[in-house]
Amino acid sequence: MLNYTLERNHGIILPNQNIGLDVSGDVARHVFVSHAHADHLPRDRYIHVYATQATARLMRARGFKGDVTELDFESPLELENARVTLYPAGHILGSAMVGIESDEGHTLYTGDYKTPPSPVTEGFSRPESVDYFITEATFPLPIYKWQPHEELFAEMREFAFKALKEGFTPVFLCYNLGKAQEVMHGLAPLGFTQQIHGAGYELCKIYDELGYDIGKFEPYSRDTVSDNRILITPSSSLDQPMLRNLKRKRVAYVSGWATHESRRTQLTIDKLFPLSDHIDFFELLDLCEALNPKMVYITHTPNPRVVSHYLSEKGIASRPLNMEGFDDD
Amino acid sequence: MTKPGQDSFLLFCKIVQVISESRGTVRKTDIFADYLSGLGNTSDIDRAVRFAGEGAFSSVSGKRASIGSRTVALCAAEFCNIDYDIVFKACRTATGSASETIEKLMDNIPEAREKRTPSALSLAQVEELFIQLEKERKRDAKQALLVRAWEQMTSTEIKYFIRVMGQGSLRIGFEAKSIINAVSKAFSSDTEAVRYAHMITGSLGEAAVLSFENRLHTATFKLFQPVAFMLASPIESRSVDHITDYIAEEKFDGMRCQIHAQGDTVMLYSRDLNEITNSFPEVVAFFKQKSLPGVVLDGELCVFTDNTIQPFQLLQKRMGVKKPSPKMTGEYPVVFIAYDILYNDDEPLFEKSLINRREILKSFCDTFGIMRSRQFEVKSREQVEDMFDRALAHGNEGLMLKHKQSTYEYGQRRKSWLKVKKPGGSIDTVIMYAHAGSGKRGGTYSDFTLGVSVSKDDRYEEEFIPIGKAYGGYTDVELKRLNKEMKKLIVDRFGPTYSLKPGIVVELEFDDIQVNKRTKAGYTLRFPRFKAIRWDLAPSDADTLMDVEQLYNKKLHDDRKPQSEHQSFIGI
Repeated sequence: MLNYTLERNHGIILPNQNIGLDVSGDVARHVFVSHAHADHLPRDRYIHVYATQATARLMRARGFKGDVTELDFESPLELENARVTLYPAGHILGSAMVGIESDEGHTLYTGDYKTPPSPVTEGFSRPESVDYFITEATFPLPIYKWQPHEELFAEMREFAFKALKEGFTPVFLCYNLGKAQEVMHGLAPLGFTQQIHGAGYELCKIYDELGYDIGKFEPYSRDTVSDNRILITPSSSLDQPMLRNLKRKRVAYVSGWATHESRRTQLTIDKLFPLSDHIDFFELLDLCEALNPKMVYITHTPNPRVVSHYLSEKGIASRPLNMEGFDDD
Repeated sequence: MTKPGQDSFLLFCKIVQVISESRGTVRKTDIFADYLSGLGNTSDIDRAVRFAGEGAFSSVSGKRASIGSRTVALCAAEFCNIDYDIVFKACRTATGSASETIEKLMDNIPEAREKRTPSALSLAQVEELFIQLEKERKRDAKQALLVRAWEQMTSTEIKYFIRVMGQGSLRIGFEAKSIINAVSKAFSSDTEAVRYAHMITGSLGEAAVLSFENRLHTATFKLFQPVAFMLASPIESRSVDHITDYIAEEKFDGMRCQIHAQGDTVMLYSRDLNEITNSFPEVVAFFKQKSLPGVVLDGELCVFTDNTIQPFQLLQKRMGVKKPSPKMTGEYPVVFIAYDILYNDDEPLFEKSLINRREILKSFCDTFGIMRSRQFEVKSREQVEDMFDRALAHGNEGLMLKHKQSTYEYGQRRKSWLKVKKPGGSIDTVIMYAHAGSGKRGGTYSDFTLGVSVSKDDRYEEEFIPIGKAYGGYTDVELKRLNKEMKKLIVDRFGPTYSLKPGIVVELEFDDIQVNKRTKAGYTLRFPRFKAIRWDLAPSDADTLMDVEQLYNKKLHDDRKPQSEHQSFIGI
């Protein structure tokens, strides 16, 4: 059995190895940050953490002031009681799964992850097998099965192109770190300039500098947004002046949650694109089977019971690891 | 002639899907009109319009596929080889829609894909499947039919097959009014004429056929075929420019009813157009002995004794009783009070103005001795308030204001009729359970079971017991906050329902309190809705069951003025 404690509503602590995974502060000697989404970042912005180079840059852009020891993917770090390896998680740029080998066994903590990986990440790779698998399950039901990226990108390009041709500004509602750049990468072949609001623009610059193709982009400008531009913005801006003032627009919502028809009327939008940066239900089951762990711990999920039900049919033991779910997709 | 492939059910489903994804009624209407004009024969037009707006069967046919949503869901779970309780229910909670859940499972689950070979069913073949389902009585056999139907369909066809089977709207933001517009556009008919034909025939499909065949003028009213009732809007929801354009009547707290009579044939229809003739034999007998010329009256059924209109609670004892005993009709005698006339002397009267119809009603009722509501001229808003108070004193619900020049707008809720009502009351309750919403509220917890305190009540062991379920009256912002706050209170979960610790107090408004022996509290609230979420109150501030009982008794025994002066109706 894995020896762990939970930090209320945040991360996981492995006390024997003195390791904290996505924890909120200085609660273990070695703190690892899986990726730069807010719900995984430490709340204490001045502690020492380990992270990948890209995550370190994104964290600093989002206000982290502490000390970051940057690690390469798949090059193990030797600690006093464990050897830690980061694996590319395919979720957003820099996202890593954390592998911990110790005399208690081999544990893999996923953070958030996606396979097949998002094209604007370092890809996805994993250990052959593990003893304990701590996995997120944001989409833990058989109604979630993602279409391939290229298929969705093609539909998104068609949507944007048609809107522009008919004199409308295409607006893509998506989370400003990760999803936004993925969408921009998918739309880049159209050749139109994409505008992105405030904080998102700084994050795009990091993707661009690290060599990911996210097309031509510039900060949002009220004066030029209707001028053959594509607008990328989080869904929270739907009821804000920026979008309210844009009269001729076609709005698309890009998220794993776009699987649900009800999002259409809840958000009053024109098109739903169920593009997720989380693993889908079927890939999750396959991965659990491939890793052949003694125990799967399921976190970040509204429905651990359904995943457990299927895993037990495959003869894999599992249990929920109670942490507050956070919907950042 | 129908173009090849135009009559396929899959095309119909694709069109419907595009409509659901389109914004704006004009765009939706155009898409459907375009589709209809490609259908070249009456049967396919009938089917397409019926499936889109009425269901598998015409709404006046009385026919139903009669297969419950649970049966469909269980059958789908088995088809997809998944556990119903653990997996299917969780998926339905997430989407808020059983048919959408089934569509996705049919797509995603390999076994469900392998079982199906889509075979381009025509609209006629799908109709035949519905007919077989309707004829089959046994549940097992119905499920077998469902399986056979699904084996021949794509996932989208299955989704809409299930929705059409459920009768009524497809829930894609494309309702009767838009369908009528699409029909009139497709076949270049007058919209009003299509609407009229719909009202007369009660069927969108038939109205579409008449439109296609240029026979809208033949749509005529027939006795003993009910027409949709004209409905009233709450006065608060509409702006009224000239109150003096309206007349006032007291609003009876009874049951809406349409009576069709000719000689010794008498039929009664309820608001949802179901026949209720046998439930009210004394009313039928009253009208039979009058031996009336063909007539259709719109009015209210009320319990009337001691020259006084009795509370709705007493009428409730008669509602739903298919064959009341003489004891029952003796104890709770029901009368019919007419307030509108829709047909007389072989002539429909819908198109006449209210004052015109009123003249006819008056002379008809006075000739044959039938009770009719009193009408009052409205001179000012102050006078409306006086009349309102008098109506309440009679035990009535409030006032109806009716526009003098309005026609009988069957099936519509506009501002020609306005209701002036006062909420029955409000109580402070706690949220006990949160239920996953469905349809457009899918994915949120939008329905709540509310409870009153019984902690000092010897009859109960519990602290709180449910008193009602509400799913409205809050804003989107409030609902968001509720969903956030309730997470802290979750103690248990049963499928789509969370059980919550008492923590959130809601001021619950309702229209009325009724005795209901089947509930733990013994009472239910009529039309409960959120008035305010009382973040400032604690569960210990909630009202008790005793408070509810007191309110009920007050309503039941409140003095009601008899009809000896200032009558609410004439012709006792």
